[in-house]
Amino acid sequence: MKMSKQTPVLSKKDLRNASCRWFIGPSTFNYETQLAPSVVFALYPSLRKIYKDDDDLIQSINNHYKYFNTNPWVASLVLGAALAIEDENGLDALNTVQDFKVSLMGPLAGIGDTILWAMIPTIFGSIAAYMAQEGSPLGVYLWTALTIGFFFVRTRLFEVGYKQGVKMITEFGKHLTIFTEAVSVLGLMVVGAILPSTIALTTGITFKSGDVVMEIQPLLDVILPALLPVILVAIIYFLMSKKKIKMMTIILFIIILAMVGAATGILV
Amino acid sequence: MELQIWQIILITLLAFFKTVDWSTTQITTLNTVIYGMLTGLILGDMSTGLAIGATMQLMSLGVVAVGGASMPDYPVAAIIATTIAITSGQGMEAGLALGIPVGMLGVQFGVISNIVKGPIARKAQEYANKKQFNKMINITLLSPILSGLTSAIPVLLSITFGKDIITSILEFMPAWFTSGLSIAGGMLPAVGISMLLMYMPTQKYISYLIVGFVLSAYLKIPVLGVALVGFACAYELYKKKIADLSLLESQYQGGENEDE
Repeated sequence: MKMSKQTPVLSKKDLRNASCRWFIGPSTFNYETQLAPSVVFALYPSLRKIYKDDDDLIQSINNHYKYFNTNPWVASLVLGAALAIEDENGLDALNTVQDFKVSLMGPLAGIGDTILWAMIPTIFGSIAAYMAQEGSPLGVYLWTALTIGFFFVRTRLFEVGYKQGVKMITEFGKHLTIFTEAVSVLGLMVVGAILPSTIALTTGITFKSGDVVMEIQPLLDVILPALLPVILVAIIYFLMSKKKIKMMTIILFIIILAMVGAATGILV
Repeated sequence: MELQIWQIILITLLAFFKTVDWSTTQITTLNTVIYGMLTGLILGDMSTGLAIGATMQLMSLGVVAVGGASMPDYPVAAIIATTIAITSGQGMEAGLALGIPVGMLGVQFGVISNIVKGPIARKAQEYANKKQFNKMINITLLSPILSGLTSAIPVLLSITFGKDIITSILEFMPAWFTSGLSIAGGMLPAVGISMLLMYMPTQKYISYLIVGFVLSAYLKIPVLGVALVGFACAYELYKKKIADLSLLESQYQGGENEDE
């Protein structure tokens, strides 16, 4: 056991290299260690530089082969900070590194997934889709330009994590929570806005009293625009959040329901 | 129209690139409409591609593979649907009839590839422990390639044989099947929207949901406009919460705030 602190050896170039190698991202996702193979792939050249001895290197690699899964974009910060710990303390820090990675994994995944995988695709996706329906690819370009911008930011995130270190990343997490909450407000408003126009569900039920044929749909429209879509969302939300029914089950059920509805003329 | 060989190759490569990008560089992740558009571009009919891509995008809104869960492959559905719609000349419905089922199967392809990646990871670690570090790196690189195949293979098969199959299926298909499929296409966005509501603090901030609904349903303001109003609200909330936080922190120490 070496107790002495080491001199840090990693340069800016090494960290950029690690950032770019981390672009291997969730492609190695497996059910046993999840993203661990990507972590090793990204960190390997840096670890090689830190540990001159092969056996030390193997110890560190085995440590990084432990279960890891979080939002890949935010993970760069965590892994950058983890490299900083190892660069300073070497093998002594393996447990610290592991604890640090595990403790931030959950919160950062929640935040990152909400903003990056739910908010941005919803907001930009619906804008892009509506523009595309009118024949304009502008919304697609806008969204792609944004993610390309993010791409360049992501090539720098290991450096940020390395420099700011554990304390700042933990601190940053607090602000990120507030940021997420604020973005959620924006997201909720957009979701409210796309709800009536995105979901198409109307009924073809008619009532006959004598010679007068009365359609139900215009009556529903008077009560609330997009009443049926609102009810549909409420039911699915209830089934998924309270009854824990899986997404695929609901999708299949909707397809069957739509076919039955089409056959009977209840849905048009 | 008949597909040219180069078109088949380009479309298959596009499908391959899609899953590789989604699982590595993530520049087009969850962007389905771009794949409809690019397929349309390859086939010389971008507007059909955009229209089908938009339908699929709306269908997929909010459906996210969080934490590595598998989801239907909407871009694959868009690529196939666009190709079939343009080559068969029978429009979007014919395209969706093949695109949606294959896209739904995408969940299974995803699961299979995640299972296969388990042994790859174990093998890589084995190499590392035998000090064969280069082998460890090389075998890890198989994973992105495997990811790409999960979408390239279904697309290649569907666009090569799909047109004939679909044309003959459509002849037998009763009307309720095809019109049911398009009704389902209208209803499915509700799944994604419900999922979004589950991720978000819906119960805490339900007022904003209602405001957004009213702005759009009653006042007919386009999404971009509503998003701007939403941004204004979000920005004010953020400022207020940050101020609260620094007030709280200054009671302990005079710390500086680094925010992004």
